Amino acid sequence: MSNQPIVNEFGLGPISCHAFNQDRSELAVCFNSNVVSIFRQSGGSWTLSSTLAEHDKPVTSIDWAPKSNRIVTCSQDRNAYVWTLDGQKQWKPTLVLLRINRAATFVRWSPEEDKFAVASGSRCISVCYFEEDNDWWVGKHIKKPIRSTVLSLDWHPNNVLLAAGCADMKARVFSAFIKGIDKKPAPTPWGEKLPFNTVCGEFSSGSGGWIHGVAFSPDGNSLAFTGHDSTITVVDQASGSVQTIRAPYLPYVSVLWLNESQIVAAGHDCAPHLFEKKGNEWSFSASLDSAVKKADVGTSARDTFRRMASRAQATATNDTEVHTHHQNTINSIRAFSGSRDHVEQFSTSGIDGKLVIWGTGLSRGMGNLHL
Amino acid sequence: MSFRKIDIDALEEDALGQDELDFQEIGELRPQHEVESQVNNRAQEVRSLLQRGNAAGALTTSLQDPPYGRNFGVAKARNTQTVMEVLNSIKVAEVPQLVKTLGPQEQDVLMKYLYAGMAAPEQNNSGVLLAWHEKLTEVAGQGCIVRVITDRRTV
Amino acid sequence: MSNTLRPYLGAVRQTLTAAMCLENFSSQVAERHNKPEVETSTSKEVLLNPVIISRNDKEKVLIETSVNSLRISIAIKQADESERILAHKFTRFLTQRAESFVILRRKPIEGYDISFLITNAHTEQMYKHKLVDFIIQFMEEVDKEISEMKLSLNARLRAVSEAYLAGFN
Repeated sequence: MSNQPIVNEFGLGPISCHAFNQDRSELAVCFNSNVVSIFRQSGGSWTLSSTLAEHDKPVTSIDWAPKSNRIVTCSQDRNAYVWTLDGQKQWKPTLVLLRINRAATFVRWSPEEDKFAVASGSRCISVCYFEEDNDWWVGKHIKKPIRSTVLSLDWHPNNVLLAAGCADMKARVFSAFIKGIDKKPAPTPWGEKLPFNTVCGEFSSGSGGWIHGVAFSPDGNSLAFTGHDSTITVVDQASGSVQTIRAPYLPYVSVLWLNESQIVAAGHDCAPHLFEKKGNEWSFSASLDSAVKKADVGTSARDTFRRMASRAQATATNDTEVHTHHQNTINSIRAFSGSRDHVEQFSTSGIDGKLVIWGTGLSRGMGNLHL
Repeated sequence: MSFRKIDIDALEEDALGQDELDFQEIGELRPQHEVESQVNNRAQEVRSLLQRGNAAGALTTSLQDPPYGRNFGVAKARNTQTVMEVLNSIKVAEVPQLVKTLGPQEQDVLMKYLYAGMAAPEQNNSGVLLAWHEKLTEVAGQGCIVRVITDRRTV
Repeated sequence: MSNTLRPYLGAVRQTLTAAMCLENFSSQVAERHNKPEVETSTSKEVLLNPVIISRNDKEKVLIETSVNSLRISIAIKQADESERILAHKFTRFLTQRAESFVILRRKPIEGYDISFLITNAHTEQMYKHKLVDFIIQFMEEVDKEISEMKLSLNARLRAVSEAYLAGFN
């Protein structure tokens, strides 16, 4: 039960997005630039194996489909590409017709990997599927009633429903059913007969704030979203309850369900925070980053007096230190190991250029998180 | 050539205007006289509570149901004054304990009033407000400040 | 009076940390553009409420923030005419070198003496807590500098006038 996080420092700049392949031996990461770097795991460290360079503006999001081993990237240049490994083990891009006229902000493969959704600043979501005859990916737009840039997406396990967090302060659940690609899904608490672009639910946290991260629960019946007003809202569609937890911390940017009763959120506070459901109430549980102690904080008498003396000066308190593993905002949390309803490890990437893999200390048979 | 003077961004239908954003947050606005009478009633109630020495009650009453909405300028100013009266009359030593008794919603509203008060330093005693700010941030955290900045329901 | 300095700087520090939650956000108005939204203010939904923190009616700080940028404007204490002139000269010196300063804005906002513009690019290159530390330190230093300058100005004045008037004795 390793609770010590594994810190990978690349030193190549802020990490804007990252994605692992299925067996976690390869990592696709973008360092705030137009290219995506693929690293391969070799003996505990990561070595650069290839570079995907096709975009001409910063890449905003990457997703790696585990089973079909395809990478989709989207960027501020209004384009997205699907990369596949060809015979010579080279990554080759395939054109995607997004038909958006503003930047793409977020992309995710659907659970069946036959479609992917791209969120964009042109106030729409482009759900793309492959068209055999022309050998390209074509997008269908979800437009109404989105009124601002879509910031994040998450797919429901049934491959049809899509949750979107938007800068117009609303989190919505849409149906992204594509005729010909999808079979009619079984009824869920979100609705039955669901043609493309049906709004199955529209939620807000009540105090405004752009919705930075959305996530469906493992069984898909609940939706958690986090906004810029430092709140996490959990909507349980089966029972109809909407619970907003006001956190006394800086806003969260990304959320991940560890299991049906635990959510991990991370953002501007530079540390992942755990929220748990006790009974029917969600509440903040703990920060998963036990502060990294500074090595030279001595407890000798001399140090105590030195600290007391320096406290008397007004300027001594000006040197703040951030005692977490990440030194700057975390912008992405992804599940690393375990299953969808029982995540054992998750990875976080941040603007400080570090990628940290955290263990939740959970193993089958134990209920609680040990810190 | 007059097409060059058209502000094309203002004509874009899909963009959210200020009024729509307000409506999204606040909903239908109540009639002005109703809001103003509510604010005046509350002011009297708070004053009587203060005279009886019930500082905690006065604080919670003054923080109930603030007049949100852009055209309630007079009501907002009156309500801010009420809250300032309460804050000024509470002794500094009692502040930390009182702040802890407030619920999360009330803490957010109190923070909004602290900033509203500091925006008019000629009328309000900023020293008192700063002392309250320090104590409130210790209890409610930076999340409270973030909510003041993001919540479009301003006081 | 000086016992409000610590809570004042504390309040500014907390508010600044809360406001400095910035992220990369492409313009919704112009394709392939990335502009500080607090400066362009065309999209109303990405702008947040501006807040003022004041110590008294002469010293205050205005913080306006948006999704990818934040503007902080400081009104420096200017008790008399000579302090006003010194503050003006000091801020002019800095704003003329705004490019090397990186986060400084060339023109202060109406009603304030100096303004900073911090964008998501700055928070990516520099640590947020260090940026906040810097602004607080700046606020303290400016007051000290101006009082020092005023003292040395008065001392020089005294020396010059004594030397001049000694000639008439």
